[in-house]
Amino acid sequence: MSSAISVRHLTKDFRVGLRGLKLRAVDDLSLEIPRGQVYGLLGPNGCGKSTTLKIVLGLVSATAGEVSILGCPSATPEARRRTGFLPEAPYFHKFLTGRELVRYCAQLSGVASADVAAAVEDALGLAAMTEAADRPIGTYSKGMLQRIGFAQAVVHDPELVILDEPTAGVDPVGSAAIGRMIHAMRAKGKTIVLCSHLLGQVEQVCDRVAIMDRGKLVLEGRVDDVLSRRDRHVLTVEAMTPTAREAAEAALAAHGAVVTSVTHPRRSLEDLFRELVTGSRDA
Amino acid sequence: MNPMKASFQRVSWIARVTFLEAVRQRFFAFLLILGAAMALSSVSFRVLDFGHGELKFIADFGFGGMFLFGSVLAVVMTAQLFFSEMDNKTALTLLAKPLGRGEFLLGKFAGAWAVLGVFVAVLSVLLGVVLWAREQELLLLSEQSGKVPPTFSASGLAQFALLQWLRLGVVASIVLAISAVARTFLYAVVVGALAVVAGQLQWIAQDAVLKPSESPAYEAVLWLTSRLLPNLQQFNIGDALVLSSAGVESGAVWAVTLAGAAYMAAYVFLGALLFKRREI
Repeated sequence: MSSAISVRHLTKDFRVGLRGLKLRAVDDLSLEIPRGQVYGLLGPNGCGKSTTLKIVLGLVSATAGEVSILGCPSATPEARRRTGFLPEAPYFHKFLTGRELVRYCAQLSGVASADVAAAVEDALGLAAMTEAADRPIGTYSKGMLQRIGFAQAVVHDPELVILDEPTAGVDPVGSAAIGRMIHAMRAKGKTIVLCSHLLGQVEQVCDRVAIMDRGKLVLEGRVDDVLSRRDRHVLTVEAMTPTAREAAEAALAAHGAVVTSVTHPRRSLEDLFRELVTGSRDA
Repeated sequence: MNPMKASFQRVSWIARVTFLEAVRQRFFAFLLILGAAMALSSVSFRVLDFGHGELKFIADFGFGGMFLFGSVLAVVMTAQLFFSEMDNKTALTLLAKPLGRGEFLLGKFAGAWAVLGVFVAVLSVLLGVVLWAREQELLLLSEQSGKVPPTFSASGLAQFALLQWLRLGVVASIVLAISAVARTFLYAVVVGALAVVAGQLQWIAQDAVLKPSESPAYEAVLWLTSRLLPNLQQFNIGDALVLSSAGVESGAVWAVTLAGAAYMAAYVFLGALLFKRREI
């Protein structure tokens, strides 16, 4: 089965100024995002995350490289039919109510007329926006805007959902609500690509992460793998195995202690991020 | 679902929201009120008439309001409707859906053109009411004086209104094509306004093409200009349609209509092509 998103040798140059100076936003990026997982795309501002997502969605053209969504070339409407997108700091037509917006997006996404009403109610329910659905969007708080944005992104039951900074500017309660929505989508077997600066949340909800810096991929892998420090071990007291543990137990027993487990110590995703990104900036 | 039908539906949804957005704008209400006030007040200004018939003066006043405020509305509102989607980034959300760029642009055009239709319809109805009321007064006066009363044609006014709607559609399509490549709202408005002025003066290029010239390059530029730019003056046949007893040959009206529709379609198509290359 093809990946949810496949990015091969993607490069994007922008021309800036009157002299057309070349600014490389994405530099030979290759990524395979597997289906059915929550995938975190991390990096500092200006590292090329949003540009990569825009290329994936066909909003910006690539200078070089290939991108496909669920096996289809990414710029085609067919690929976007199976994709939902919540842009960073979403802004919607203020005069529409939340329900009108979600219905409008359902219609544009190709939901059959007979199914639109049910799809809208499902999406509003998932985003916990049913009660406020008949209010004009102009009256919504930032957290509600993000949630209605989430509802419009999932109203057509897409296989892939791309969320660009879904918790930016949202308070911890709203942020936790968005986290629950992501869990609910994962439980349905959807693939979710999450761009976020809230590293704690990314660590909690993501299965895999990729970290970008200056347009390049600097690290990619399972969250558990990339956060494990395999050069060190933590002994927890109880039932440690093999020979080494026996020696350790003997040594500890001599001091009246019992080893209960051996595990890999973890560093936080935030520490890893800072080490990879800030370290390279300081160099 | 039939792909053509699905595409038509997507265009109509974009058009519907564009229309709702436009009619909520104060700018639209402001120009509509100004235009309506101009049409209604034309009776009061007839004392300024310099020898023309009263109905002609009233009709010219109304036509002028429709032309002036309609052109401003077509240029500024169309550009504003396009750039509000770009600058507010609502286009990001919409174009990330299975919606073609051409469908998006066509929907924006249809929504803007529908608003211009409302504008023209309201002003035409008001002008028709003013003309009819004065016509009735003049009929009574002529019965007393024994003179032949002036009359106007309601069906001619309806035809003129449709032609004005088409003219504003051509202007809106040009502005949309400019907006598709413009980086700023101001640039689109300024170039769009210049295009309207050039369209009003296009007949000069048409006349020049007919005159022999020794420079092939000059002839080529004139020929190209006269083909690329629509002749917006050809829609100004209000007097003949509304006030002349002879009217206008239906062939002439059809020729203007077909030329307008062709330019409108061509500019929307050009806009869609240009917009396809735009990075959002």
